[in-house]
Amino acid sequence: MVYGNTAIIFMVIAVVLGVLGLAFVGTYYLNKSVDQSAR
Amino acid sequence: MHLIPQSWPHLHILVSVFPSVGLIFVLGFYVTAFVTNNEVMKRSCLVLFGILGILAIPTYFSGDRSMAVLSQDPKISQDLMNTHFGWGLASLAGLVMTGAAALIELWRFRRVERLSDNALHLVLGLAIVTLGLMVVVGELGWEISHHELQLAPATQKTPQAWSHVHIILNHFPTVGFVFALGFYITALVMNNDVMKRGSLVAFVICAILIVPTYVTGAASMWALTDAAMPGISKAVINAHRDMALLTLFGLAFTGVAAWIELWRFRHLGRYSRRTLYLVLAFAIITLGVMAETGHRGGQINHPEIRVAMDILPTDSKAGWSPAIELLINHVIWFVPWQTVHFFGFSLVFGTALAVSLRVLGFWKSVPFSAVHRLLPLGVFGVVMNVFSGMLILHADSSRYLNEITFVPKIIFFTIGGIAVLYFSVSEGLWKVEAGEDAPMSAKWVAAVVLISWAGVIMGGRLLPYV
Repeated sequence: MVYGNTAIIFMVIAVVLGVLGLAFVGTYYLNKSVDQSAR
Repeated sequence: MHLIPQSWPHLHILVSVFPSVGLIFVLGFYVTAFVTNNEVMKRSCLVLFGILGILAIPTYFSGDRSMAVLSQDPKISQDLMNTHFGWGLASLAGLVMTGAAALIELWRFRRVERLSDNALHLVLGLAIVTLGLMVVVGELGWEISHHELQLAPATQKTPQAWSHVHIILNHFPTVGFVFALGFYITALVMNNDVMKRGSLVAFVICAILIVPTYVTGAASMWALTDAAMPGISKAVINAHRDMALLTLFGLAFTGVAAWIELWRFRHLGRYSRRTLYLVLAFAIITLGVMAETGHRGGQINHPEIRVAMDILPTDSKAGWSPAIELLINHVIWFVPWQTVHFFGFSLVFGTALAVSLRVLGFWKSVPFSAVHRLLPLGVFGVVMNVFSGMLILHADSSRYLNEITFVPKIIFFTIGGIAVLYFSVSEGLWKVEAGEDAPMSAKWVAAVVLISWAGVIMGGRLLPYV
């Protein structure tokens, strides 16, 4: 199967944004939970 | 599928790994109990030593009956069985003595309400000697039916050393997990924080160990199928691989949830009841998946445990693993996950570098607790890499696994992963305030962490070129 360069670039951006987004949301809420509980 | 053993060899295969691998984990907990001087943990370990001692009975009887069954099989060497039996008797005697010493000390404790140091050290010494004997017995036991281990390496494209390592390694995250779960439930019932921490650490270690276990499993598949071997079916292997994939996810969920609780405990000084029960739920589900994975793994090369009602798969293209192999070989799936893999390494190494440099003496104006906040980023990086790495491995596992830098990469991953745990469990390091130097032991660990993760990245990057 042949894919165009554009399709690959968009797929890379979508997957990376999705995965990194999950990681950063997870880190944000973990830190927030520690900040709130420490008060 | 039948999880309840219906033959003596099946029962022996199942029961016999608990005393040996269990002993390693119980010894780990026991040494931790000495280091932290936790009485409840010491007593819990004595109970576990007692249980291991009792396990010597089914291990002996199932082994004795298995010999009678297997002596009818012309492919099984009677000499090997006799040697295994002789060493087995010695190790089981050691196990019984360890268990008896532990139970006697527990009985004595009920009367005088104090544990004797001499008795505790006696149990420790007996357990270590028994473990040494168990290693010999285990090795002799595997040689009885795993004839592929004797094949000349020169005749093999994928070395049988992978199969050998997988046979040993797969018992650590599985049997170890059973002991960790037992210990964890005891910790929750007795509400003992040190035991909770010990069990959470054990869950994380099991989660890290599943990575080399999965990788060696993939390599074993090639070692057994590069050239057709009588009795070995790719379809049966794939059925095991599919469940192994689920085990990988189950252990990842359990390990990450356990690690997050260890990390949060450092900052808050207390555990979240909700997260502790979440870890328990993940662990129980994972144990079920793991039991089925182990059972399917046993069916690959142990015809003696199969029964008439077992319907073994025959289609080598069926299942999730072949489907992932097909999908990930399309560039539109491979390239995005490879990119995620690089981002994961950036996160892991960036975090490891920042935390390790503070421990090594850089940025002394910052307390260790501040850089400890960064660690979840690194752990998310590890999760990203385990997932993307598993997908990438499926693309061309035979080639990757036979590259010479793959083994060091996985060894460094295991060491680096376990060493990072130190940052969240060390009391001395946690107390390092702004302007203070970290303890020398912590500096050594930081150096190991940096070297290991650098080794993982270099090992991975060199894969296509050397």
